[in-house]
Amino acid sequence: MSHEPFETLAAVYAVGALDGDDLAQFEAHLPTCAVCQAALREAQDALARAMLSTPPQAPPAEAREALVRRVGRARGADRRSWLTWAAATAVVAAAAAGFTGTWVAVRYEARLGQMARETAAVKERLARNEASLREQVALYRGAVELLRDPATRVVDLRGQGPAAAASGRMIWNDAGGGHLFVAGLPPTPAGKTYALWTIGGGIPRPAGLFGVDAAGRATHRIAPASAGAPARVFAVTVEPEGGVPTPTGPIVLASK
Amino acid sequence: MPTPGRDLIRAMAAGNRDAFAPFYDTSAPRVLPFVLRIVRDRADAADILQDTFWETWRGAAAYDPSRGTPEAWIITRARTRAIDRVRAVRRRGETFVAPVDEAGALAQLSGAQREVVELAYYSGLTQTEIAERLEQPLGTVKTRIRLALARLREVVTPP
Repeated sequence: MSHEPFETLAAVYAVGALDGDDLAQFEAHLPTCAVCQAALREAQDALARAMLSTPPQAPPAEAREALVRRVGRARGADRRSWLTWAAATAVVAAAAAGFTGTWVAVRYEARLGQMARETAAVKERLARNEASLREQVALYRGAVELLRDPATRVVDLRGQGPAAAASGRMIWNDAGGGHLFVAGLPPTPAGKTYALWTIGGGIPRPAGLFGVDAAGRATHRIAPASAGAPARVFAVTVEPEGGVPTPTGPIVLASK
Repeated sequence: MPTPGRDLIRAMAAGNRDAFAPFYDTSAPRVLPFVLRIVRDRADAADILQDTFWETWRGAAAYDPSRGTPEAWIITRARTRAIDRVRAVRRRGETFVAPVDEAGALAQLSGAQREVVELAYYSGLTQTEIAERLEQPLGTVKTRIRLALARLREVVTPP
């Protein structure tokens, strides 16, 4: 008889389904055949791993306690010499830690990963909030500094055309620059932005680009102008995102 | 894959009672669903789990690493007890326990392969009984089991 049929019998034996003549034949063959012993061992190992691949379930706690107590009372320590016992004991702590550690790792890896990601996100958000707060404080401080100067003017801007509901207030100092606060401006269309113009001697000069938040508000800092006539009039227009040297779009806010 | 469970079994074999609780706590929750899968009854499954783990404590010295992994050692013992219970139920004339939808590695087998493994391993049918139930030649059943195990080995072996 060739060996091939035995390999099939080994598989059927592994799942516990061998019967009749096949069983007798295989059990007679097995002790003499290292190939079949290895095949059986591998099949049983694969089966065990497959069977243990479903999600674990904790056994009833009382059952566990009862069994651990039963083992605790059992005769056992005298089964081997004291030395063997001591040697084996030494590995227990490490083995238990390893076994449990692997187990805990598998179980909580996903959760820990998620927590780490959440923590990172919170940190990032906090850092962003802090930066934004610092920025705002610096801005208001700058505005307050400007207001101390008697030469500083406060100019109201009114909404124009489709943005009639918008309003703005400019704190302006010809030497120190200014701060523009706006409210009620609609979001700009894609590819567009708001542009501020300072107008002195009839010539509009670009004074920066800004966008508005979801509530239509914005604060915009204007650096001191280095040259040109003192600004008398202020206006906001809708312009292409890159900005333009002279106003091209519709005016949405303007001072009197 | 090195199995720390092997060290715990060695310690239990040497009579170290402290090795039992960690061994139980890491293995029993994985063995319970398997036993439950066979016997379907929580009380029966809990009983079988108790007997199986008591036996691992008493028989730890007989564990031979060269003959298989700790997992195979435990599962084989748990299955023998669970199948005895299922066969006793069948002998009392109660209905055959049909396999349920499979989770885990068995779900990776084809329907026909999974069926023969489940009928054998979970329901405790022999190859002859499976052939009768499925109305298939005995040779077909044997081949199917062999192919199913080959596939299972691929599934559970890390690449």
